Amino acid sequence: MVALTRKDMGQFLARQGILVAFVLFMILFTLANDRFLDPDNIMGVVRSSAILGVMALGVTFVVISGNLDLSVGSMMSFSTIVVLDLHDKIGPALAIPAMFAMTLCLGAFIGFLVGYLKLNSLIVTLGMLSAIHGLTLTYSGGKNMDIDDMAGTWFGMFGRGDVLGIPTPILIFLSLAAVLGVMLAKTPFGRKVYAVGGNGTAATFSGIPRARVVFSCYLVSAFCVATAGLLQASRSMGSQNTVGQGLELEVLAAVILGGASLMGGAGTIFKTVIGVLILGFIQNGLLLVGLPFYAQYVVTWVIIILAVWLDIAAKRGGLWSPIA
Amino acid sequence: MKFQTILAAAAASTAVVGVAQAETYKIGITQNNVGVDSYQTTYEQAFVDAANANDRVEAVVLDAGGDVARQIAQMENLIQQGVDAIIIWPTNGEAVIPAVRKAKQADIPVVVTNSNIDEKGFDFISSFSGPDNIAQGATAAEVMCDRFKALGIADEAQIVEITGQPGYTTAIERSDGFTERLPEICPNVELVDSQPGDWNREKAQTVMEAFLTKYDDIDGVYAGDDNMGVGGLNAAMAAGREGITFVGATNFAVGYEAMANGDYWGSIYQSPVDDARAALETAVDILDGVDVPFLNYFETPAITQDNMGEFTKPVF
Repeated sequence: MVALTRKDMGQFLARQGILVAFVLFMILFTLANDRFLDPDNIMGVVRSSAILGVMALGVTFVVISGNLDLSVGSMMSFSTIVVLDLHDKIGPALAIPAMFAMTLCLGAFIGFLVGYLKLNSLIVTLGMLSAIHGLTLTYSGGKNMDIDDMAGTWFGMFGRGDVLGIPTPILIFLSLAAVLGVMLAKTPFGRKVYAVGGNGTAATFSGIPRARVVFSCYLVSAFCVATAGLLQASRSMGSQNTVGQGLELEVLAAVILGGASLMGGAGTIFKTVIGVLILGFIQNGLLLVGLPFYAQYVVTWVIIILAVWLDIAAKRGGLWSPIA
Repeated sequence: MKFQTILAAAAASTAVVGVAQAETYKIGITQNNVGVDSYQTTYEQAFVDAANANDRVEAVVLDAGGDVARQIAQMENLIQQGVDAIIIWPTNGEAVIPAVRKAKQADIPVVVTNSNIDEKGFDFISSFSGPDNIAQGATAAEVMCDRFKALGIADEAQIVEITGQPGYTTAIERSDGFTERLPEICPNVELVDSQPGDWNREKAQTVMEAFLTKYDDIDGVYAGDDNMGVGGLNAAMAAGREGITFVGATNFAVGYEAMANGDYWGSIYQSPVDDARAALETAVDILDGVDVPFLNYFETPAITQDNMGEFTKPVF
């Protein structure tokens, strides 16, 4: 009986290598700084990770469908700037849906190019990264956007407010993760996403409309980006044009760290959340330990590679696994 | 008869061109990264306005988009065009030196604007026009120290610093000016930590959240610009930590407002409009043969809750 439990646990650990890595790093950082496990700190890290996390949820869909989205960083800047600008012009109640509509249009455009015109997603989203940045700068005239009357608006509730002591960004991140997690794991649409990414030809023969599935994945991603932009704008109540720049790589790192395959067909929302938290806690832990700034870059990426290695080692049951 | 007319016409047009060459200057500017922040955007607009207002100046306005290679290409292009003077806002204080040397070899005077190039390149430039960032850092230290003295905590205060983009000259100079001046006037104030916020409000907010967790006792925050200072303020307000003295630099509209609300103590007033006008003026003066100082600084006074009425709200 005991032996069986141990075997089960071994199997569980082997499947959840990334979770093991996560727990190991948490223990290490706790030993290095006693404030790391402070509830305020943990809450703070999850809250700061929420924006990256929301974006990673959407990109998980895109990656599982076998594509990439490198435009999410500039698209987030776009959403942030647009919603801040419209806030002062037409009020928050109209600004938020208008911004979502505009961001979804961008997502639909990318989805059309990748899904229906079958263009390579790396090239399309790399191009959109620049194009959307240009769009943002044109829209704003290069100026920072700030909300004029910060005290007299309810707009801050998304990024700054809390419900029963839990910050709203965390609630939004976790509820969105729950909804999208169920959508991916339990619905026909979710199964189609895995099928398209896993084996596109087989999916076609099973009668799955591949183009429509890919198109929908980019819509999901754009919706998540718009949510992230809303959180960002509301959190800082003002923004620079460059706010999301460079985030696409961190988002992708979190998704891959969570175990999604760049080849498509593999990954889950739960593991992406773990990937996001690992990134957040590593950055926070290094900051608390007081490591010099440049060293933080190096150590962050060494840790990420270690985590991926641990994950693979746990799955294969061996530390050494050369390309055969 | 006809031949004479042509000759006369030719002579006349030569004379006109000759006069024109003596009177109007073609001045090229290559900027760092317009649009990355409101300061640089406002600077460009002010520069164009100042050039339009001056009949003697024809301006060629370029932007490197933060890309060193593009800026070097733009320098070479301006040299090719044979402009009378070049103004450069360096994307990188070291990498642009060879391009600046090329301009010098072509006898085109170069004015560096806003943030300086590395000292190794000083032989190749005519003047630097911009703010004195070391002095700004020092002034910020004085503002912080005076505030602590007024609050009666100058003997025990602990502060943290949020710096600009690592490796960027302005960020380094402001930090150096601050950390060198502070111990001279407030020897017992301790700088407990310093991390970069990359000129980015969101990043500064995240850094400040970690500071607040790490240190129970923070009395002051010095930020390399107001954008980051306000990010720090956001974090402190969200955490309910009151009584922290925030001092920034380059007063932004958000910093000015936070000051008016009584949440933010002080900053350094630096106008992109003054910055742009000073650069153009320096270039014109050099072409006119007027003596200008090699380091041609414009005024950047301290602004605090006490004297903010003397300053207009920044437009960026």
